[in-house]
Amino acid sequence: MPNYKLYYFDGRGRGEFSRLIFAAADQQFEDVRYPQTEWPSHKQEMPLGQMPVLEVDGIKIPQSFTIARFLAKQFNLAGKDNLEQAKADATVDTIADLMAKLSPLMYDKDEVRKQQGIKKFQEEELPKHLQNLEKLAKLYGNGAFFVGGSLTWADLVFYEISNSLLKLDPNVLKDYQQLLKTRQEVEKHPKVSAYLKSRPESQF
Amino acid sequence: MRYERNEWPSYKSEMPLGQIPVLKVDGVKLPQSMAIARFLAKRFGLWGKDDLQQANVDTVVDTIVNLMNKFSPIYAEQDESKKKAEMAKFFPNELPKHVRNLDTLVKLYSDGGLFFVGNHLTCCDLEVYNILEYLLQIDENVLYSYSWLHKNREEVEKQPKIASYLKNRPARRSTTC
Repeated sequence: MPNYKLYYFDGRGRGEFSRLIFAAADQQFEDVRYPQTEWPSHKQEMPLGQMPVLEVDGIKIPQSFTIARFLAKQFNLAGKDNLEQAKADATVDTIADLMAKLSPLMYDKDEVRKQQGIKKFQEEELPKHLQNLEKLAKLYGNGAFFVGGSLTWADLVFYEISNSLLKLDPNVLKDYQQLLKTRQEVEKHPKVSAYLKSRPESQF
Repeated sequence: MRYERNEWPSYKSEMPLGQIPVLKVDGVKLPQSMAIARFLAKRFGLWGKDDLQQANVDTVVDTIVNLMNKFSPIYAEQDESKKKAEMAKFFPNELPKHVRNLDTLVKLYSDGGLFFVGNHLTCCDLEVYNILEYLLQIDENVLYSYSWLHKNREEVEKQPKIASYLKNRPARRSTTC
């Protein structure tokens, strides 16, 4: 059994995708959480000076989606064959497109500009991303999960990102029945629901 | 299939996300360029020989995607003077750290060879090759102090099937990358 260690900040962010995958697979791992004040002294230990990083039997892997995809494959949560894996990848890439627009706005230190930016994003940018995800879920899923007939990392990544979107606007998914359904399925998963109940609260 | 710009609107609704590239395989349409590339790389033995090598290939690809997320919007900018101003900022202020990151990954994964991962050609060598082509056309000194990245480019160009493809492919006319 490989030894897994996940390094990230003490929050959900981009580390949470992997934590959800570990939870769904009921796999042990060392959950290393560096407070912001401690991070600078560990930065040069990480390949690209960033987190999350996964350490597997002593080898460090950076990049949040690479880590999540690697873990998903280890635990049979990537898709049952090459084509299903590609569908899961395409779904996650579509979520990544959404994050590429939203994340810079969330880090804006100017509070007024940040709120304006988020509002503009919600009105002008977000709908097409959600429509795209709804389309992919209908195209590749069986009515419950994003891909095929069972849970993949695409469902878990979407679950985590949609939590952030719902915090900004609790009604954001009201027109997207398929997306709401995948969230329900994730929440019904026994191991994931146990993890969601017990995970630490955090700002981000 | 190559669509001219004026043809594209009539095909847009046939694509899952109204975007291209799309790969049609066994009747299924796959969007998203990197998902497509990974699918093909897996099929053709260009993704890495085991799970860890594949993760290393993905890490290099994700690092290129970080670079492209910054570069592509600037490259696609229609307003010429705005584009020039953004490029003038991107090349000295943003690009160096991405090239440095690629160089870091080379030191970690290349095992002393001339390919990014595992001493054989993988799709990340091809993707680095592709994005650097755009950057080198704008500034031929981008790889100034990175001799390994030069040698890796030469190694990619030497692969017989790639050499022949590069010689015969249609001249690029796009304004996006």
